[in-house]
Amino acid sequence: MIPHPPLRLDGVSFAYGTVPALAGLSFSIAPGERAALLGRNGAGKSTVVRLVAGLERPDDGTVWVGDWDTRDCAPERLARRVGSVFQHADQQLFAPTVREDVRFGPRALGVGEQEVKRRSDDALEDLDLTPHAAHHPYDLPPALRKLAALAGALALEPALLVLDEPTIGLDRALCARVTSALLERSAAGVALLVITHDLTFAAETLQRGLVLDRGSLACDGPLAGLLGDATRLEPLGLVPPAVAALSAALDLPGRPVRAADAANVLARVARGRPAP
Amino acid sequence: MRSLTLESASFWYPATEAPALREVSLEVAQGEVVALVGALGAGASTLLLVAADLAPRVTGGRLTGSVARGDRSGIVLPTPWTQASGMAFTVWDEVAFGPANLGWPTHEIARQVDRALEQLELVPLASRDPATLSGGELQRVIIASILAMDPGLVLFDEPAAELDAEAARALWRLIRLQAKEGKAVLLATSALDALPDVADRVVWLEDGAVRAIGTPELLADVAACDAGLGTSVASVWWASGLPGPYPLTVAHALQRWR
Repeated sequence: MIPHPPLRLDGVSFAYGTVPALAGLSFSIAPGERAALLGRNGAGKSTVVRLVAGLERPDDGTVWVGDWDTRDCAPERLARRVGSVFQHADQQLFAPTVREDVRFGPRALGVGEQEVKRRSDDALEDLDLTPHAAHHPYDLPPALRKLAALAGALALEPALLVLDEPTIGLDRALCARVTSALLERSAAGVALLVITHDLTFAAETLQRGLVLDRGSLACDGPLAGLLGDATRLEPLGLVPPAVAALSAALDLPGRPVRAADAANVLARVARGRPAP
Repeated sequence: MRSLTLESASFWYPATEAPALREVSLEVAQGEVVALVGALGAGASTLLLVAADLAPRVTGGRLTGSVARGDRSGIVLPTPWTQASGMAFTVWDEVAFGPANLGWPTHEIARQVDRALEQLELVPLASRDPATLSGGELQRVIIASILAMDPGLVLFDEPAAELDAEAARALWRLIRLQAKEGKAVLLATSALDALPDVADRVVWLEDGAVRAIGTPELLADVAACDAGLGTSVASVWWASGLPGPYPLTVAHALQRWR
């Protein structure tokens, strides 16, 4: 028997009343896969997150989380398999401290208190939030509140993470923390679906690019190739991030899209040695 | 003419010992765009709240030094969804809420609302219920709501955060246009790559204090790259070990490379 992927959308359509959001959307994400969900404002990206988290039910088609049809699952049951960060993460924070908020998820899953502590401490540490753990979430700036919501999702240690704009307002150092935390989870087999307009962050972190256009899948392929190709991006409402644009403009071998790779190639080319 | 003048301004949030702003002196003139950059927690958002007269008036806390405003200000917060009135059933009415509260005559309200909707390319959404908008659409509605009040000093905190690439480019163009029309613009952003085309001056904040003020070229300095505040292009150059000065943008890099 073929194992079920962590996420599979099968012909999913959804409308907010009379306003259509998704039309016959199908794709699946494999264990350990790091997928970006890109597209214009209003393309339907956040709706996908709400469907996967079980906050909305598809009008047509099926959202499979493993072998569970989300139609049959309450959001709290889905939380055993999916960690979500919503667009407006403030709506998912409620405990009096960041630490208690992060502990709430694993505690609700019924894991032992030792394990609750380990999972939440790991998540806080991974995102550099330990110094803020005793603060009230609302005493933190919005960017750190979103990071606290991400820590809560990581602490569930789910098979699938679905994140809506996790890096808004973060400085470069914190973006790098998010990248390394997500790479670590993905290496351990966690599947990632990340909605972002921050293509610099996407280039550093993700490998597959799914692009939505008016509720349908307009593109699905390797992210690095897509980000360097301005002519393919333009009709999708996307612009190459600066590193990809730099690689293309200087015609750097391999067209790197990650900053560290671009710096290495640039140094090699500048020394006059052929790049591999 | 000066729209905003801070002299040695320090600010403490309630029940905190360390100041969030330390002796900040800054002038923002009509017709210019000034960008605040820094690590998270460096004080950029706090400085905008002080400039908007929300800190300490609404936040509580304590301000020392002086803050003088030559213009009425409007601020777009980093959480724009919290700025929706919640009392409007159409986008048009939402954008009219602020101007109506200023007590303007009906024809003037309509003129400003129509203009703001056009500027933010929201005319096709004018009759939509704000509750049905996507995050990026709502962000544009809130920006239109602020601009419709015709503030002389416009304050933006991460204004492009939820916008797609096209909407972000349109917003940066609109911000330049605001300055051209004589408004003063002060903004905080982590979108450093946008600033060479947008900002007249860049203010680098560190630990609540001004570390440096300069043209956007500041974002290609070794010190800025060290601090993670270089543009992407400057940072790649810096990380490659090639000698400075580093190029600020792709166009500069191409000139250097040839």
